[in-house]
Amino acid sequence: MDTGDTMLETRGLTRRFGENTAVDGVGFPVPGGAMTGFVGGNGAGKTTTMRMVMGVLGIHAGEVRWDGRPITAADRRRFGYMPEERGLYPKQPIVDQLVYLAQLRGMDAAAARTSVVEHLERFGLGDRQRDPVEKLSLGNQQRVQIIAALVPTPVALVLDEPFSGLDPTAVDSMADLLREHTRRGTPVLFSSHQLDLVDRLCDRLVVMARGKVVAQGSADELRSGGPVRYRLVVGGDAGWTRDQRGVHVADVDGGTALIEVLEPGAEQHVLGEAAARGPVHEFRRVVPRLSEIYQEVTA
Amino acid sequence: MSTRTDALAQQPVQDTTTGQGPARLPARASGGSAWTLVARREVMVKLTDRSFLVGTAVTLALIVGGLALQVVLSGHTSTSKIVASSPAAVTMVDKLAGQASTLDKSVKVELVRSPSDAAARAAVQDEDADAWLRQTSSGWELTTKESADTSLLTVVQQVVRADTIDRNADAAGTTLAALEQGSTVATTQLVGDAKESQLSQLMGFAFAFLFYIAALTFGITLASSVVEEKQSRIVEIIAGAIPLRQLLAGKIAGNTVLAVGQMAIYVGVAMVGLAFTDYSGLIAGVSGTVGWFLAFFLAGFVALSCLWAVAGALASRTEDLQSTQMPVTMLVMLMFFGGMFLDGTFRTIASFVPPVSALLMPIRMLDGGVAWWEPVLAMVLLVGFALLLVLAAERVYRRALMQTGGKLSLKEAWRLED
Repeated sequence: MDTGDTMLETRGLTRRFGENTAVDGVGFPVPGGAMTGFVGGNGAGKTTTMRMVMGVLGIHAGEVRWDGRPITAADRRRFGYMPEERGLYPKQPIVDQLVYLAQLRGMDAAAARTSVVEHLERFGLGDRQRDPVEKLSLGNQQRVQIIAALVPTPVALVLDEPFSGLDPTAVDSMADLLREHTRRGTPVLFSSHQLDLVDRLCDRLVVMARGKVVAQGSADELRSGGPVRYRLVVGGDAGWTRDQRGVHVADVDGGTALIEVLEPGAEQHVLGEAAARGPVHEFRRVVPRLSEIYQEVTA
Repeated sequence: MSTRTDALAQQPVQDTTTGQGPARLPARASGGSAWTLVARREVMVKLTDRSFLVGTAVTLALIVGGLALQVVLSGHTSTSKIVASSPAAVTMVDKLAGQASTLDKSVKVELVRSPSDAAARAAVQDEDADAWLRQTSSGWELTTKESADTSLLTVVQQVVRADTIDRNADAAGTTLAALEQGSTVATTQLVGDAKESQLSQLMGFAFAFLFYIAALTFGITLASSVVEEKQSRIVEIIAGAIPLRQLLAGKIAGNTVLAVGQMAIYVGVAMVGLAFTDYSGLIAGVSGTVGWFLAFFLAGFVALSCLWAVAGALASRTEDLQSTQMPVTMLVMLMFFGGMFLDGTFRTIASFVPPVSALLMPIRMLDGGVAWWEPVLAMVLLVGFALLLVLAAERVYRRALMQTGGKLSLKEAWRLED
């Protein structure tokens, strides 16, 4: 399932650090209007890839494409970027430095100020505009940091661990905010270590391991890649399911059976059989969790 | 959950500390005016920094105060009471009182009569009088409580000597004029006059000192602001928005504007102040050199700025700055002491060698005897040197800025992969 046109794309991106190839031929699309989750363990190459996308790190091979052509510095200037290592000027008032960063990205000072103040108010920081960054709590610094990526309104968002360090409420409001941007058709690429969060939020997934993309696609595509499983709970013992044709029974525990469908439609026969044998308490499709898929592809 | 996912849930341990390369950004600037935004921020941050404003005000106060002191001192006369306890001494002190102000306008003499030597000594002891002049078997003696004021002593010596020689000449049947015939040594200075030399020496020192202080304070400011951006990693956001070349250019421009602006204010105030002193007539003569001084300062500061920016980029944290900026600090000190103490041929040669020329050439010009092409050549060399440094600094700055794994050596930074 593709939620929009591919606006941002990497092709064969490669970066070496001395002998070590940190990112090796990485290619994936980031479609417009969708949240693309970028997952992988420490040292998998996510941050290096994002830095190459943003042009802050040299590219040894491959390319980053925007709108169907090689990306330019002018394109990147309109991107919102949140680097992995957070930081702003510790002593400058937050409103001043956010306006400055917006100006660097080509925004007019007055418009930048209006937009920055709006965002600060939305995050409940309206009365702290003149405070230096170092006086804010870490969570609030994180909010200020995301504002730096959102003003001026970005044409694409590249966010390295935007949810780390946020409490659950803040995660939700951050997610809502990002969705506002995807609704405009903006491509959003974000990395995260929190798989359940990625599972909940993203439309597409790119999984990296040891510098390579090991799986990618929409969440549904990834899930449908594995076997289709049903969970059946009946009144009596479910051992009889083992003798049914067209299915493989992965597990039986008393009245509960986990059935893998080998021939489509076979599960319906199993259900009919179960109903004939007695009461059926539960019959439902089991959707694998992303963490399970992740373990499979990175194993 | 398996151990694999647990490992994933951990916070990222900086997997980016080793071998990070620099940014490779297209040479064409996206938004040609980005560097002016950077420069403006540098200036605004400094202009709203209290310690900077206070420091500038204090320096201005010192300049004005120093000049005011000069005015007060030159207009000041001190009256010395001299005790005389014998008729001969009374006559001599009378002559002193009459001639003192023509010999030195800051000295005025007042006669105090005393009945006896003991009373005279007591008057000096009790500070009722400043000195006691008496004739001894071999000449004259000036007794003071502590060391005698040198201007007063000079006046006394001159008057006593002239009077005695006059008497002796009379006794020998000749005149003082006849005796002194052909003995005078007049001073003629080929370039300027005594007062002008004095002023140029004073200004030379002031130039060197101001240059030293400004190069050091603004240089350290620049290096700190570079490492601040590097340490806080805001540089990564900036690098995503504008080419790092523009960041470097903006930072150098901003600090140069601040340094040259501050210097121009200091020099301007000093020139106005000089108008109120004895040197007022000489201002027109040195103002051309002052212009050269500012021009050399501008070029010299740009060259040094590149070095300071590199010193900042080589550090990873503010704590590293102390050691990475050491070579630049040494260079600035070398320039200062070179400007002050070099002599003869070395001085002439050094006045063409950048960056020392930035300071030495204007100082040499103050002394006079510098051909018109000399400052021009020194300036061309200095500007060329500054341009080379800008290019080299950009390479190192760009490469070192994305490195967060501790202090870098210049060689490491130069060799980093693009």
